Amino acid sequence: MLERALNAFWILLGAAAAAYAWTLGIVGPSGPESGLFPLIASLIILSAGVVLLVRPPARLAAPEPLPAAALARIGGVVAGLAVMAIGMPYLGFAVAGAITMIILLRTVERTSWAGSIALAVISVAAVLWLFGHGLGMVLPRGPWGF
Amino acid sequence: MDALSGLLTGFAVILTVQNLYLCFLGSLIGTLVGVLPGVGPLAALALLLPVTFTMSPVGGMVMLASIFYGAMYGGSTTSVLLNIPGEAASVVTCIDGHQMARQGRAGAALGIAAIGSFIAGTLGVVVMTFFAPAIAAAAIRFGPPENFGLMVLGLVCTLFMISGSAVKGVLMVALGFLTAAVGIDVVNGRERFTFGSVDLSGGVELLAVVIGLFGVAEVLVNVETLTPSTLLAERITGLWPTLADWRASWRAMLRGSGLGFILGLVPGGGPVTASFMSYALEKRVSPHPERFGKGAIEGVAGPESANNAAVAGSLIPVLSLGIPSNPVTALLLGALIIHGIQPGPLFMTQRPDLFWGIVASMYVGNVFLLVLNLPLVGLWAQLLRIPYRVLFPIVLLLSVVGTYSANKNVFDLWVMLGFGVAGYGLRKLEYDLAPFVIAFVLAPLLEQSLRQSLVMSPDGAMILLQRPVTAFLLAASAVLVVLMFRKSKPGGGSK
Repeated sequence: MLERALNAFWILLGAAAAAYAWTLGIVGPSGPESGLFPLIASLIILSAGVVLLVRPPARLAAPEPLPAAALARIGGVVAGLAVMAIGMPYLGFAVAGAITMIILLRTVERTSWAGSIALAVISVAAVLWLFGHGLGMVLPRGPWGF
Repeated sequence: MDALSGLLTGFAVILTVQNLYLCFLGSLIGTLVGVLPGVGPLAALALLLPVTFTMSPVGGMVMLASIFYGAMYGGSTTSVLLNIPGEAASVVTCIDGHQMARQGRAGAALGIAAIGSFIAGTLGVVVMTFFAPAIAAAAIRFGPPENFGLMVLGLVCTLFMISGSAVKGVLMVALGFLTAAVGIDVVNGRERFTFGSVDLSGGVELLAVVIGLFGVAEVLVNVETLTPSTLLAERITGLWPTLADWRASWRAMLRGSGLGFILGLVPGGGPVTASFMSYALEKRVSPHPERFGKGAIEGVAGPESANNAAVAGSLIPVLSLGIPSNPVTALLLGALIIHGIQPGPLFMTQRPDLFWGIVASMYVGNVFLLVLNLPLVGLWAQLLRIPYRVLFPIVLLLSVVGTYSANKNVFDLWVMLGFGVAGYGLRKLEYDLAPFVIAFVLAPLLEQSLRQSLVMSPDGAMILLQRPVTAFLLAASAVLVVLMFRKSKPGGGSK
């Protein structure tokens, strides 16, 4: 079911991208235009989607449903990274990174609060020292100056 | 410049304190990446690519290349001691390597893996020294149509070698092309697929794509099932192979070296394919195939030699032609472009210091790796005690730093997360992600070649058939496409 939905998505994506590429122009007086290459790519996606939908593989890829614990762990990783992306411009790398680490350690591994905080602080400090200080990378700072 | 004088130039470039340090550092990081399961060489290269922005191109490329071949050495340690591959090219080493460890012969397995890797790696670089300039010299007369044909053949070869559905592979290539088309068209400055977004006008960041697909997605796969593993062998002894081990292994090492080198050259081949095919070959030629799976030392020596020789082989097309044969070399190609270097047949004549510096560093790096992997194997074994629950948040933190450092833009973190989730889903549905990355990196070069070819011809697309080399390359691609779909089960099923 999931794979069929994805195949239908490929068809829609290919068709939409082909229509958009057409508006960019295909061939002009001075040669190929911006739309030629994306049009070719879109038509390949469209055709492959049709083939996969009409003549699906002999064995459809059907991933086994994940247990709730596994789903929670995956959700924890995605949520942690989203928090990092949202929080980094406002809180800075250090604080957003520490919060993310705590979310990851608490949701994925159910590490104790004390252990999560300790590991988060040590890891973030090590990364900041290595990349920020050692390799001279500029990482966002929060209102606290770090 | 002939090969020997080129190599001397390379050694003059590499034998400076800074470049030797970077080569050693890359070898060390590569071994670490190989040893730690869940962190592959591709993700590590992507994470560390921004670090090279402040280095000279020679230093940066030497470090990145040494991470690639260093990972091939380290992967065997985890396979032998934990029965978990440190990286994909060491999967088959688990079979006999771990059995040897269970029989109390972990030292012999690790020793033969390191020595086989050293021999194959060095042989591979020797052949590369003489072979790569010959290829570049032949390709130097290529124009845009020939380059287009070459890139098409490279992509088709990649599709031919993938293990899953051919149709899904083709779809991934086209998706890579389409993703690379996002941004400003360099020919006429027109925006494509940006939908007015300033963040998209610079295109989709390569590092965000690679770190998402191969770093974040890998973490998502691994956190699905967090199973504890048992470390075999507290102390590792008997690393130097016995005479009987040598007798059993030397042919396997040579066969693995030859097979690995050839498979490395072929787009879509590379270290993973080489190690699997070497194992199959050793089992086939062995007078006692029943010993395989029960601790046969040839089952370690052959694949470990093959994956190292494949690294040297896979660097030839990317350095001499600008054609990557696997995602790691695609990223190296991207790194060259980021450093302002135009890859292709002219690379060797325009930047001999860089090309020969990389080649010379591989001789030195193999020696570093032998030293790092034989006497220090006990240290690497201790690192395997780090539980994955500690490792994965750090990997994610490094992923954020690596992605952000490329453009100092938080938008790239969303791109990384999006590609991570998409990569995880696509992997579950048996889509191979390698063709996507190779197509994504090659797309700007391919499009440029196509447009230049069409502009230079009054007959339009007919130029692709009028030029003999291009026609031959495209005909070969067409034959491979036919063979690929004939090999596929009806409807594009698995091969």
